[in-house]
Amino acid sequence: MTRQERAAWLFTAPVLAIIALVFVLPTSLALALSVTDYSIYALADWSNLRFVGLGNFTELLSTPLFWRALGNTMLFAGIGVPMAIGTSLFTALLLDDVTVRWKPLWRVLLFAPYVTSVVATAVVWRILFNERFGLINRALGAIGIAPVDWLGDPHLSIPAILIFVTWKIFGYNMIVFTAALSAVPGELIEAARLDGAGRWGRFRHVTLPAIGPTLLLATVMSVAGFLQIFAEPYVMTQGGPAQSTTTVLYFMFDEGFKWWNLGQASAVAFILFLMILAVTLVQTRIGRRYEWL
Amino acid sequence: MGAGISEGGWTRRAMLSAVPVIGLAGCQARADHRPLSLWAMSYEGDYSPLLIPAFTAATGLDVEVQSLPTTASHEKLLTAFAGGALPDVLMLFNSWVHEFATIGAIAPVTRPALLAQMVPGILASTRVAGRDFAVPWSVAPQVQFYRRDILAAAGWDAAPSDWAGWRAMAKAVKRRRPDDYVFLMLLNWPTALITMLVQAGATMLRDRDTRGAFQTPEARAAFAYYVSLYTDGYAPMALSTEIQDPVAAFAAGYCAVWPSGPTTLVDFTRRADILPRERWSTARLPAPDGPGAVSGLASSLCVSTQTRRPDAAWALVRHLTSIPSELRYQRLIGNLPARIDAYQSPQLATAVLRPFAEQMHQPATLPPVIEWERIQIEIQYAAERIVRGVQTMDAALAALDDRVDRLLAKRRALLDAGAIA
Repeated sequence: MTRQERAAWLFTAPVLAIIALVFVLPTSLALALSVTDYSIYALADWSNLRFVGLGNFTELLSTPLFWRALGNTMLFAGIGVPMAIGTSLFTALLLDDVTVRWKPLWRVLLFAPYVTSVVATAVVWRILFNERFGLINRALGAIGIAPVDWLGDPHLSIPAILIFVTWKIFGYNMIVFTAALSAVPGELIEAARLDGAGRWGRFRHVTLPAIGPTLLLATVMSVAGFLQIFAEPYVMTQGGPAQSTTTVLYFMFDEGFKWWNLGQASAVAFILFLMILAVTLVQTRIGRRYEWL
Repeated sequence: MGAGISEGGWTRRAMLSAVPVIGLAGCQARADHRPLSLWAMSYEGDYSPLLIPAFTAATGLDVEVQSLPTTASHEKLLTAFAGGALPDVLMLFNSWVHEFATIGAIAPVTRPALLAQMVPGILASTRVAGRDFAVPWSVAPQVQFYRRDILAAAGWDAAPSDWAGWRAMAKAVKRRRPDDYVFLMLLNWPTALITMLVQAGATMLRDRDTRGAFQTPEARAAFAYYVSLYTDGYAPMALSTEIQDPVAAFAAGYCAVWPSGPTTLVDFTRRADILPRERWSTARLPAPDGPGAVSGLASSLCVSTQTRRPDAAWALVRHLTSIPSELRYQRLIGNLPARIDAYQSPQLATAVLRPFAEQMHQPATLPPVIEWERIQIEIQYAAERIVRGVQTMDAALAALDDRVDRLLAKRRALLDAGAIA
């Protein structure tokens, strides 16, 4: 080992030690738990613990609620990611327009929901969504639409929560996109305009390729975030109605912390980890093909 | 006070040098007089501090009370046990005592005097393998709170006490008030349905409580009755997250009958401005043929096995469950005393409390398995799926049996192996 290498190891050692302690160790312990039947009986007496191999995984795959939770999570991600990214990009484009005045003020106002507390805002939105007294149904009533049971109808509960989530998080990616948009060369847009490109053409062929890498990064982060959605359904609907907003993470929380079936819960965590890894790999591959990364 | 300090007597350096001394003194004080800790849920948690001054005056011990929200308390207590952070004294709902005794979180009651003169039958729910693990604190059978004015307008002087009568009354009320509902039974609170199952004679579990038995004629009858109240429009298909203020909903006539526990008495009294006293009354819950056994959220006090001061902890339990404390609690939060002698007090002889006092002698017996808390939530999920038309009754009950069988798989294996009794 050269002196330089020793110095490098010395400098990185503290961080590596922390990573090993708070990341690698717990993750491997969780993986070890996922092949045992650790439950409340094991909490009572360690001798009740058994090695079950892949038993937790086969058990999970035959649990209807797990599949429902998986389906709900897919719905959250499938609708939520385009909704959130689309809103962020749309507002960023609006704010980027030269005719908009008071830009810093708009940015702050639109970013504000992101830094508020999830629980407090979820409680407020729960009131807004109330079927009888909620402001949203009052507004709909004013234009002649019958009251909608937002949080009580199993088919509308996910869209309702997504409206809240989008409102809450779009500000973050909006700021990221605003930064990316400011780097789009103005002369290219001007040139495209002179060549007769319309609004859509300029966006599609000039702006989009320029902000491509940012868009990809935002999508990866959003997909990972939506696959782990938990706090919003926990506060707004407690997984209901009829378990229509129970997500994979919610399922894991219930199994693990509420009922102390840590074996089963670790198996869920492992599956969730593989899902997020798979989605991210696919996205990276798409990004490579379009030379964004 | 500061007049005695001469000018320049307190330099900055002198003050700084005093800091570690004060710190050390603080540590010393904490080690000697660390307050006892008490965790309780719901109103019990909120109002326990009012019962403490008398205890502190008598014993010189300080008590730190932490109030837990009911919906998050089960996981908080389990996590605290796993992490070795349980308080000295904790409140448990009676249906949880079996679970926490099995995992070794609570100590058996060694002083028989603490369990003297209890309401009959109540100790059965806190006894595990022949030993008492908790001192009952309150009894909380559910009764029906009803709007006298609304029922009178529909032709009923008092709430009916059998299932057929309940439906007939609901039909009459609904005809007069088509935009409102009759029963306030939240779709994610299992108590109402569990009571109906017990009343219909369903055992719910079979084979030494190791498998679900929800496809029996008795269970079907209870589910069918429960579901019919929703599908006929007598009860709103709403979760607790949707009805944020049930008292206001009841006062506004959104519902006319509300099966609930004694703490609702205090809620009503406190909000007499929107719900005048003459508008409501109480009656025992209906059963297929006249009043029967009813389930409720009775609570007990337990001493944790992790406490370092068991004597002080038991003293606190003795104080909180004494008759004067229980009567004071009844005035504060409505909860009914668990000690039978307390009922000689004129305070408990009012007409509105009579249904509770009668019901108290007929508690529902629930299967004594540590998975029960979870099973009753699964029962409620099944009912919700039927009510919302997501599944038929046959499919939902078959799925429920299957689910409960899985939840009890570990118990079955341990029973077969002889590891548990």
